[in-house]
Amino acid sequence: MRRAQGIAGNVVLNVVAWTIILGVAFPLFWMVVTSLKPQFELFRRPPTMLPETVTFEHYIRLLRDTPFLTYFRNSVLLSTATTVIVVGIATLGAYALVRFRFRGRETLAFLVLFTYLLPSVVLIIPLYLMLVSLGLSNTIFSLVIAYTTFALPYALWLLRSFMAGIPEDLESAALVDGATRLGAFWDIILPQLLPGIISTALFTFILSWNEYLYALVLVNSDGARPLTTGVMKMLISSFNIEWSLLMAASVMMSVPLIVVFAFLQSYLTRGFGAGAVKG
Amino acid sequence: MAAYQFQIAAFEAVTPGVKVVFETTSDEGYAPQLAAAFASGEVPDIVTHLPSFAVQTDYANGLLEPFDDVIAAIGADEFYPGANDVYRAADGKYCGTGIGNSAANMLWVRRDLMQAAGIDTTPETWDELRAACQAMQTGGLFGAPLPYGQNSMTSLIFIGFIHQAGGQVFTPDLQVAIDNDGTRAALEFYRSMRELCPPGATTYSWGESLTAFVSGATATGIYTGRVLANVRDQNPALADQITCATYPRLSTDIAPWTFNDFPSVFIPAQSKQKDAAKAFAAFLFDPEGYIQQLHAAPGHVLPVLQSISANPIYQDNDIIRKCGPEVDLMAASAAGGFNLGYESAGHQSNAKAGEVIGSNAIADLVQKVIINGDNVDQALGETAAAIDAIMKA
Amino acid sequence: MTSHAQTPLERRYAMLGLALIAPTVLIFCAVIVYPLISAIYLSLFQIFTPTLQGEWVGLGNYAAIWGSGAFWPALWTTLVWTVGTLTLQIVFGVAMALVLHQNIWFRSLARSLILFPYFISTVVAVLVWKWVMNDLYGILNHLLIVAGVTNVPLDFLGSMPNAMVSVILVGAWKYFPFVVIAVLARLQTIPEPLYEAARIDGAGPIARFFDVTLPQLREVLVVIVLLRAIWDFKEFDLIWLMTGGGPVNATQTLPLVVYREAFGLNQMGMAAAWAVSMMAVLLVFMVVYIRQTRAKGSF
Repeated sequence: MRRAQGIAGNVVLNVVAWTIILGVAFPLFWMVVTSLKPQFELFRRPPTMLPETVTFEHYIRLLRDTPFLTYFRNSVLLSTATTVIVVGIATLGAYALVRFRFRGRETLAFLVLFTYLLPSVVLIIPLYLMLVSLGLSNTIFSLVIAYTTFALPYALWLLRSFMAGIPEDLESAALVDGATRLGAFWDIILPQLLPGIISTALFTFILSWNEYLYALVLVNSDGARPLTTGVMKMLISSFNIEWSLLMAASVMMSVPLIVVFAFLQSYLTRGFGAGAVKG
Repeated sequence: MAAYQFQIAAFEAVTPGVKVVFETTSDEGYAPQLAAAFASGEVPDIVTHLPSFAVQTDYANGLLEPFDDVIAAIGADEFYPGANDVYRAADGKYCGTGIGNSAANMLWVRRDLMQAAGIDTTPETWDELRAACQAMQTGGLFGAPLPYGQNSMTSLIFIGFIHQAGGQVFTPDLQVAIDNDGTRAALEFYRSMRELCPPGATTYSWGESLTAFVSGATATGIYTGRVLANVRDQNPALADQITCATYPRLSTDIAPWTFNDFPSVFIPAQSKQKDAAKAFAAFLFDPEGYIQQLHAAPGHVLPVLQSISANPIYQDNDIIRKCGPEVDLMAASAAGGFNLGYESAGHQSNAKAGEVIGSNAIADLVQKVIINGDNVDQALGETAAAIDAIMKA
Repeated sequence: MTSHAQTPLERRYAMLGLALIAPTVLIFCAVIVYPLISAIYLSLFQIFTPTLQGEWVGLGNYAAIWGSGAFWPALWTTLVWTVGTLTLQIVFGVAMALVLHQNIWFRSLARSLILFPYFISTVVAVLVWKWVMNDLYGILNHLLIVAGVTNVPLDFLGSMPNAMVSVILVGAWKYFPFVVIAVLARLQTIPEPLYEAARIDGAGPIARFFDVTLPQLREVLVVIVLLRAIWDFKEFDLIWLMTGGGPVNATQTLPLVVYREAFGLNQMGMAAAWAVSMMAVLLVFMVVYIRQTRAKGSF
């Protein structure tokens, strides 16, 4: 009896849960469906649930007739470079902030938190002027620098809490055994910190991949334009809103991320929780 | 795009040593991009397709090179009479020139729907238009795709309505005069049209408005000749049913007012290669390349040079052949068109027009009165104050 | 710093610490502190954006913002958006984390599908939702009409209160997975014996949630609320791309005001003053929040 109740309860839970999950994922489904509809079917009223005619013309046009691939390459380069630089610097910084005593440590930690408040719009023009005087305007690297403004405080904050979660005894034991401070960092801390680093890297990558405002203002050449502004620019002209093409671009822009994150998802959840809860 | 590539290749072929790099931008993106570029001194050598009032603004701030040399190189007589008046700046020089004309507020109608509703003639007055829309609005079909969004289309189109009721935004010597009977009549009419427009018209801009008509969701449209090409490509069933006219007015006593944003070409003052830029600007009007440019969107961009209109190569295009009367009407309307920087032949050139449009003050007026239901007097007062502040800043 | 107690080794460690933090500090100064100071400096001028030519107006910009009474409505809009979307994110995020913590069918796939909105670009999210909510061809209006909820298509983004509700919902949809991730991770570390003890005491599932789960989640929730509140408060992309701040200025939050001042009205100095005011408010909220939660022993 209780067992039957348990099974029934389980079925109800599953049905309810999956209804919500499918509801949340519906836009994903609709994005794919729309991207496969030919133009004339798109403006059918009422809309067709599944495409009557499946076409890949929008994907072909996207790859062949638009700079989509250039934007894609730019986004990959940009996000990867930002992630590597930011996570590298933040790891060292977090280590210093957590495990060393020096003048100004508390002030720095506060500053990190404070820079968190800065809206991007404030920094744009000063940053742009600075980048131009460095001769970096309109390059992917200029966006890497701009993205550091929001990615570095975030990465530092995350890594600091991960770092605080690693027992100090381990490092002390290694030091007693005669390891140098940097040697202990390399051999003891880094392996322990790896889930945290992966997690931070993933979040940094997502932030960079999704950024829109800096890219809108700082870059105006297709050679350096990332996907976010590229897709908006490429497809929304005042003449025509090509929803099928937009949805095809959206799919192409999202699928690689989803595949990667489907594999790293457990890392993401485990690592994030283990670190961030320490505040 | 392809037409530009052709022009660039041709120009590079005749002027060795000059390399033209082509960058594109978007309606929403160009303002911050150019602002950042001007601020830094890293400017493009030549810019095209900005509305004339934006060009006037930049010229007034000393950011642009006078364009007289280029106009002379093309041949001042080649242009339609008065075509460059809109570019004459306060100092008597020209700040740029039009790369094409456009008639942005043409009334597009469906002959089949008018016939089914028993309407014989294309509406010429607002009352006729409203009655026609009411007659044609059934089930899922709406009367008109007028924009009520907080964007430049709403501002630009509504300025047209003000003039179609005999009103004006500025006096000829550029005092703010938007609070007048014409504006009030326009607001009243625009409000009465709300229920004849799709629910989402509150966010419509050019693209949505155009698509609504082309897809057959509305009985009338308001757009440039781009409609012709889009119908051919996206909904060919309508191709034989559509025609256009100048947009209706409050009464037939008032002259039609066609909005032409004069997509422009100009040269930033900080350009490091002015001579090459000027040569290239003039080259853009070389018939072979220029006609390709116009054919990229037949009926949308209309020639600014008289000699081109008559050129048989220009005439040799399926849409221009098929819709000759429509294209001729648009060309004539656009050549006699106006915009906020140039409200009438008697108005001084308004260097702040770009900022007035950019502030969305006029779109705000439409939204306040029609969507929020605010008091008209108060909303007009606020709008007048907002525009006045921009003029005095 | 009590130098008399420092051994040479400790001093060397302090030096090493400084060396390790140096790159961070340098980058902070170059890309954050310097532009920030420039921004504050710019806020004291009246500046025409395209030329960056300006004249000193002192605190004139601030006087204009605070004197005209324009600040409070904009702040109110920002708060409505932030509180609305944040509440939904937290409630829905915690609920979904609890569900995903259960042993449901295809749990791994379920998690991937739930996390999906957070990974995609805001640009993509906005495009998809605008298409779903389209007045003429949108699936949402079609479904609502079929379900008999409405006869005519709804205007989701162009009129109030629909526009604010829509951006809040899309914001919640986009960002609740962040809450799910963090809470789920914490749930996995709650020791099972706590639940067994509660069960032995006769606590039902609801009582177990309030007595065991929630106190265990408190710490992580405090952090999540802080992070998400800051991000939602300064959210630009999503609202800008969804409604552009409209109708009129009903969804024009502070970041949108800043952008519009800077690039719509070309008033860079005024924009900077708005931004600095906005930061000040955020700072006050944050300090109060940290005080409050710290007083209760969470930090």
